[in-house]
Amino acid sequence: MDNEQIIRTKDGSLAHLRTIHGDDAETLIANARYGFISGLIKDVLKKPAVEKTTATDRIDRLMLNRWLGIPLFMAILYGVFQFTFIVSEPFMDWIDTGFGWLSEQASGISPSWLGSLVADGIIGGVGAVLVFVPIIFLLYIALSILEDSGYLARAAFIMDRLMHRIGLHGRSFVSLMLGFGCSIPAIMSSRTIENPKDRLVTILVTPLISCGGRLPIYALFAAAFFTAHQGLVVFSMYAIGVILAILLAWVFRKKLVPGESGHFVMELPPYRLPTIVGVVAHMWERGWSFLSRAGTIIFSAVVLIWLLNYFNVLEHIGRAVAPVFIPAGFGQWQAAVALIFGVLAKETVVGTFGTLFAGAEAAGGFGQVISAELGWTPLIAFAFMAMVLLYIPCVATLGIVKRETNSFKWTWFTIIYTLVLGWTVATLIYQIGSLFV
Amino acid sequence: MVIKPLREVEPLERGRIVKVGGRKGIRRRLLDMGVVVGAEVEVQRVAPLGDPLEIRIKGYNLALRLEEADNIQIEIFEGKL
Repeated sequence: MDNEQIIRTKDGSLAHLRTIHGDDAETLIANARYGFISGLIKDVLKKPAVEKTTATDRIDRLMLNRWLGIPLFMAILYGVFQFTFIVSEPFMDWIDTGFGWLSEQASGISPSWLGSLVADGIIGGVGAVLVFVPIIFLLYIALSILEDSGYLARAAFIMDRLMHRIGLHGRSFVSLMLGFGCSIPAIMSSRTIENPKDRLVTILVTPLISCGGRLPIYALFAAAFFTAHQGLVVFSMYAIGVILAILLAWVFRKKLVPGESGHFVMELPPYRLPTIVGVVAHMWERGWSFLSRAGTIIFSAVVLIWLLNYFNVLEHIGRAVAPVFIPAGFGQWQAAVALIFGVLAKETVVGTFGTLFAGAEAAGGFGQVISAELGWTPLIAFAFMAMVLLYIPCVATLGIVKRETNSFKWTWFTIIYTLVLGWTVATLIYQIGSLFV
Repeated sequence: MVIKPLREVEPLERGRIVKVGGRKGIRRRLLDMGVVVGAEVEVQRVAPLGDPLEIRIKGYNLALRLEEADNIQIEIFEGKL
């Protein structure tokens, strides 16, 4: 049979089916399939007349309650961050002390340039990043629990109305939630979104959601400049990210890729108690990428930064770029350098400051050193944190944006819009804040 | 015998699907998920923001938006809930 014959035969059969059953083939196939299944089940399965109330029903009566559903959802998000910060604190202190001791030992190495490279460059830079390993791992534990328990599907259910209004899909919300861990798996998870336009917009705004790699920067500056309100300051960064992601998703969906959004027909799976093995495996899988980056990208970056600094090149690079950031308050070359290297991986920002201000611990803490050397106020630190949150996503994320959109155009679009957005928001924070402070 | 669209079925009301309509894409998706003529349905709840719906069908829980529920006609069971 040639092609035309096949198509003619197919159309003929479809018309035949329609005249006999009054339904199209898809419906008939589905009906026949489910008819067979229910027949089979009747033969082999005895069910009680009344379905028992399951644990899932009871939990959902609370979690999806008309009035309590949203407050509980907010409380869970807030609880995740509180848990992460409070539990990680003692571990971070130990690691910090450990690196301090190591650095002291290493500074004795001769010749002195080698001692400085090891103590200030490598231990100072990589150590500054590794201190945050407990926070990252705990955040990943919490997200794994939410994911494995089945609550993320409920989050999509609760938020779909809102997401639908901005032109997206409840599933987009799950991707954005995963973005709190890392943008890369979050962007990959957008594959579950069927509508291509919904999916593209989700990919474009996911980098605005604050990932684990950005947490060390907030943690560092919040501890240095906002001792009393650390939790609130960090939480506000997450809030800025979420609000802007939603706002821009709405704008993009309206202006860039207008059109109807996909359907929301989704299973709410039964709740399951996450297994320890499952959670640890998830945590390790994600946490490992953070650790291995500290050993590779960040290690190379801090050595490069130390070398460029040692030969006085770094300052020139920084000074060339720094004026751009004067309106945002952080027009110092050190900040410019940190932002340039932060594109490799956002946590490199911390490594850069660690290398440039090695010995800050001895000089009375990071906050004092930065405010003394750079003249930073809490307002500038806040604007800088917002910049780090929003500007160009890390190269690994850009790679995944390229792969998932299969388009250089959208990858460049991501780079440019995030840079403009970050600069604008940081400048607004600094300029408006200056009127009050 | 009361037949109404799924959107108007109250929580904890039960019934049987008598028609699945809608455009090709959505109908296919519904059929794939077991929303077929003859299946029994119980509305579980409405999401806190008023949309989507959660229904129980074929022994599992399914969430769908009201606009999608408009494609489904339900014959309500009389008598006890």
